[in-house]
Amino acid sequence: MLALLAGALCAPKATAQITSHESRVTPFAPVVPGYRMRFPDDEGSHPDFRIEWWYITGWLEDAGKPLGFQITFFRARPELKHDNPSAFAPRQILIAHAALSDPAHGRLIHAQRAARAGFGLAGADEGRTRVTIDDWRLQQADTSYRAQIGTRDFSLDLAFEATQPPMKQGRDGFSRKGPAPESASYYYSLPHLLVSGSVEREGKTLRVSGSAWLDHEWSSQYLEKDATGWDWIGINLDGGAALMAFRMRDRQGGHYWAGGALRDPNGRLRIFSPDEVRFFPRREWKSARTGTSYPVSFLVRAGDREFAIEPLFDDQEHDTRASTGTIYWEGAVRALRDGKPVGLGYLELTGYWRRLSL
Amino acid sequence: MLRIDNLGKSYGGARSREVLRDISFEIRRGEYIAIVGESGVGKSTLLNLVAGLEVPDRGGISLDGVELTALDDTARTLLRRSRIGFVFQAFHLLPHLTVAQNVALPLSLNGIDPAQAAARVASMLDAIGLTAASNVYPRELSGGESQRVAIARALAHRPLLLLADEPTGNLDPATASQVLALLRDQVKRESGAGILVTHSAVAAATTDRVLVLTAEGLRPAASA
Amino acid sequence: MHALIAGSLRENPGRFLLAIAAIALGVALGVAVHLINSSALNEFELAARHLAGEADLVVRGPRAGFDEALYPRLARLPQVEAANPAVELEVPLAGRQDSLRIIGFDPLRAAQVQPSLLPERAGIVLDLFDADAILLSPAAAEWLHLKAGDPLAVQVGTRKVPLKVAGLLPRGAYRQRVGVMDVATAQWRLERLGRLNRIDLRLKPGTDVAAFRRELQAMLPAGVHAVAPDTEGERAAILTRAYRLNLDMLALVALFTGAFLVFSAQVLAALRRRAQLALLRALGVTRGALAVGLVAEGAAIGAIGSLFGVVLGYAVARYALSVVGADLGAGYFRGIAASLNAEPQALARFFTLGVLFAVLGAAAPAWQAARRPPARALRAGDEEEGLRKVHTLWWGVALLVSGMLLAAAPAMNGLPIAGYIAIGLILLGAVLVMPQLTGACLARLPSPAHAAAGIAIAQLKATPRQVALSVAAIVISFSLMVSMLIMVGSFRGSLETWLERMLPADLYLRAARFGETAFFTPAEQARIAATPGVGRVEFVRAQTLLLAPERPPLTLLAGPVDAGDPGSVLPLTAPARTTRPEEPPPVWVSEVAADFYGFRTGDRVQLPIGDAPRLYTIAGVWRDYARQNGAIAINRGTYVKVTGDTLVNDAAVWLAPGASVTHVQRGLRERLPDAARLEIATTREMRDLSLGAFDRTFAITYALEIAAILIGLFGVSVSFSAQALARRREFGVLRHLGMTRRGIGTLLGCEGTLVAALGTAFGLAAGCGVGLILIHVVNRQSFHWSMELHVSWLPIAGLAALIVAAAAVTAVWSGRAAMGDDVVRAVHEDW
Repeated sequence: MLALLAGALCAPKATAQITSHESRVTPFAPVVPGYRMRFPDDEGSHPDFRIEWWYITGWLEDAGKPLGFQITFFRARPELKHDNPSAFAPRQILIAHAALSDPAHGRLIHAQRAARAGFGLAGADEGRTRVTIDDWRLQQADTSYRAQIGTRDFSLDLAFEATQPPMKQGRDGFSRKGPAPESASYYYSLPHLLVSGSVEREGKTLRVSGSAWLDHEWSSQYLEKDATGWDWIGINLDGGAALMAFRMRDRQGGHYWAGGALRDPNGRLRIFSPDEVRFFPRREWKSARTGTSYPVSFLVRAGDREFAIEPLFDDQEHDTRASTGTIYWEGAVRALRDGKPVGLGYLELTGYWRRLSL
Repeated sequence: MLRIDNLGKSYGGARSREVLRDISFEIRRGEYIAIVGESGVGKSTLLNLVAGLEVPDRGGISLDGVELTALDDTARTLLRRSRIGFVFQAFHLLPHLTVAQNVALPLSLNGIDPAQAAARVASMLDAIGLTAASNVYPRELSGGESQRVAIARALAHRPLLLLADEPTGNLDPATASQVLALLRDQVKRESGAGILVTHSAVAAATTDRVLVLTAEGLRPAASA
Repeated sequence: MHALIAGSLRENPGRFLLAIAAIALGVALGVAVHLINSSALNEFELAARHLAGEADLVVRGPRAGFDEALYPRLARLPQVEAANPAVELEVPLAGRQDSLRIIGFDPLRAAQVQPSLLPERAGIVLDLFDADAILLSPAAAEWLHLKAGDPLAVQVGTRKVPLKVAGLLPRGAYRQRVGVMDVATAQWRLERLGRLNRIDLRLKPGTDVAAFRRELQAMLPAGVHAVAPDTEGERAAILTRAYRLNLDMLALVALFTGAFLVFSAQVLAALRRRAQLALLRALGVTRGALAVGLVAEGAAIGAIGSLFGVVLGYAVARYALSVVGADLGAGYFRGIAASLNAEPQALARFFTLGVLFAVLGAAAPAWQAARRPPARALRAGDEEEGLRKVHTLWWGVALLVSGMLLAAAPAMNGLPIAGYIAIGLILLGAVLVMPQLTGACLARLPSPAHAAAGIAIAQLKATPRQVALSVAAIVISFSLMVSMLIMVGSFRGSLETWLERMLPADLYLRAARFGETAFFTPAEQARIAATPGVGRVEFVRAQTLLLAPERPPLTLLAGPVDAGDPGSVLPLTAPARTTRPEEPPPVWVSEVAADFYGFRTGDRVQLPIGDAPRLYTIAGVWRDYARQNGAIAINRGTYVKVTGDTLVNDAAVWLAPGASVTHVQRGLRERLPDAARLEIATTREMRDLSLGAFDRTFAITYALEIAAILIGLFGVSVSFSAQALARRREFGVLRHLGMTRRGIGTLLGCEGTLVAALGTAFGLAAGCGVGLILIHVVNRQSFHWSMELHVSWLPIAGLAALIVAAAAVTAVWSGRAAMGDDVVRAVHEDW
């Protein structure tokens, strides 16, 4: 159910559909070039926009064994036709996903929640990151973040310390998602977050540490009509460099649009044009559960760099049909160059099961 | 008084059979006759026909000048009610009526005034010697007593014709002879005429005349 | 011996068929009533369970609900994993005299609490956020002939609120009629802003639900209760317990009558076959074997009858559920669409019960027949002898007396068990005293000179015990009829008196006949009052109060009741108690409320009227036939002061002198918005409506009465047939003696008339006793309302005459076999 909404509104990594008409009750703010991001103000919520997410992925180390994790908070603003005075009116909806990728387990351990903002039970603050659904929260304090997720199967209590300034994607944070100029988002990332905290599983609490990547993106028009989904990577490269690359796929599964950026340890940022980013699938994995095939291994070319992307393990499929109405793949990956690991990050594959849409 | 002409009766059904054929006889007033025959030759049927309980297929029955076959069931019933008295082998007293009530039955059926009827019942009971038993129920009576009551009932309304069907069949010989004597006595006194149907020669001997019923028909007995 | 029994069956198929039919009728009735009720209950429980989904507790408030601020408080409790806030109301449908249950909850929270209640179609939640959207259960959609995209208008206040069917719930998720909305939509469209009346709680694993419920109850506002969903479902079971027991008892009564029929049939069969049975004994069949054989015969009748009964009952239940609905007119299961839920154990139970009753009916005659010395039985005139042994008078008297004593016992576990047992004892006692009583009465009859009448009376006098059997059959059925007539008549009479009291005005306005969201605003109230021709108006606000978690809410009526003279408005059961000024404000409770909650006049009770509970004085108890869950009346001034709620549901209008009803009706319609939907009824229409509803409720009782009549006549016919056959020779003799066929008919008619006259006389007496118990014990304890005795003698007399006539006809009809020619020949048979 929850995912009905996610599927409808903002399936993993945004499905906000392009709408041609403006709602009278819910005028969505447009994403336009030239906006100047300010921090920490822009780390808070932007309730005028249709959709927004805070998306943390990363690698943890548990006694030398790797453990991937994903914590996502979505904020969606439904398009309302009536100005309902009820305190329950669904002006803003919050959705959260959390997942662990443990190779020993062989597939994702995940949980999700959704709630309408209000009554102090769920909400996203402006001016500073503070997103909550009941006792699930992601909260900012100065340069650090804390995420608390408690589920029936596992609990996460993780602190994230920023070691680098925000990495504005696209043109100074204005990230285009397709040929249409209005199809864009405001987008910055925080790579190389230093993670510490605890993971509780099967009654055992593990002290963990690692590195993570935070994406914060907000938009009113995200996925174009002709696009069916996207592939995305965010890699913390060894030595402090960071790579983000994505491509939107057309209905034939080919290249529709792309983008990306590479920041070197000195902070020099290289933004790639749509033509400079290419994803070459290397290996497919087919889910026995859903029959969906995913290219879980890629060769990603960004400008003059090439990275092989290899999953921590193949089955990181996220089946959220029962709740969110969609299936996607979201998993921990290694980046390799010349066969040698050069970084750790996450790969997201959407729209392979069915087109992400309403 | 009773005149039977060429009477015939058959029973239908799967095994149709002729019970009576060309029966003719006549009884005069005051006469008491016996009809004897083997079992199954139609003695009871003959009685039923005479009483108007059944209708003959052929022939005529004239009682006191009234042709029975010309009457409908109700008329025959009314005729039977006033003109005929019945005595049965099994007595057939109504078990829930007292002796007096049983004897009074033909009188009340004939609409006789209760007071008049009571006197008549009393005299009948006196005649059969059972005055003391007038308020007794039939089950307390012996066979002979029962048949005496039955005789009183059959004659209470002074019928034109008394029909007795094997009246001593259920009685021991001593009692039987007493009952037969009473019957003859009472028929002569209270009834126009009487027919005694029996297969007992002893019984038949108490009557004025004996007719023998066989499959071939009715004929006078060889010796009277 | 089996051949003998089979032969007897072949010889008298009619008698056995009647006994079988009676058992079948009783079993069918029981099975049908049970199946319909259990299906409805099952459906009710299923509905409660499905609506609560995975919730461990359901927090419920009254119709007016509670402040929505309770929701975050509960949601934040550490034991609570998820909470789903809801507004749940019966909403009147515009343009249809009915209402639909609508639950407005948070579909997002439902994912955790009631995941199965929402369709899987992606985007449906988004559709639900549309403030016109409603999802319908398939049952509701079918009922309203609507599909996705169709409009649906409901009534709120006096307005028509248009909604749009956004889709259907998954088939099977919820089988009853329901509409699902977003909680925000429900709050806004149904005018419940800021209020909720239901919160479903799913608790964290490992939480002790019972302990948490107690803890939770302490923090809930007064009048708000947390209950487990199972308790919610069982509430229907508790609520309808007495009603269901009532129907079960009626079925048992039918079975009892059936058993009696078996008994009388077997008695007469045993008498008729006494010679054959004696022959068997003489040939060496033991007493035990003979009794077993005869009982087996009864069991066979029972088994065949029960089998037919189960099949018939199943068919009737199926038909009733699909055509009439599960409600049976009593209002408990209104709108519940139940599919037949036939547990084999229940069917087996009724089958066994049917066989058992038949065996019981057959046991006594079998024992009697087996006990009789064979030599005696071979003699003629033994019929009455066989029965003479039966000394039942003192047993009967003992049963009658203990029945009367038991009638004074209080309810057991809320059910009038003692009352039912008392009725059973009285009926059984009446049967047992019948032989002696009949004998005594017959002995006093004169012996008329008329031959047929004389023989008839002599026959009856001589066989009082056989007569008693026929008399008892009539006593049983007629007493049941009389008692029901008295009970229903008293109820109806009391209801009429009550309606007269409750409807003193000339015109009544109701915002809607069904549902909970219709009302008149203060402006509309003023407009009603200012309508030309309106002399005086009194308004009534109807709300609900939840006083105990295990009971359904009772009704709070805020109306013109005045502390000075409450009796002028309410039909008080005792003189009113005047409250002193320093006492808490007065309220008047209905008998049902008084019984359920133990209220007594003079008590001070805390009632959750408005958001803060206050003390009130119970100033009186009044009779209320309309609200079976109880009602509390309060002065509307007091109510408005406490709650601030100035809306009303009903208005009673007294016309100004000289004003015409139609004129004022038209005036009111012109002055009120969408007045076509309003109900503006005259007192007579209101009265007729209520009485119509009453008559529908008792339709099943009337059906049972017809069954009782039939069973009674069956009984008479059976015994007359048997006796007529037994008396063939006697009739033959009478024909020989010159009695016409008509004469014999008269004879039998006389006997039938006399038997029926005795039966109806004793039946009337027993029926009056049973009726009084029904009124003052069973009814009072089952439904908690008192009533006055209203006996309408005319229908009773008519019914008695009908039975006597029917019995006479039956007797003549069953004797027709004895008027044929063969009776003539029977006389000459030797035996």
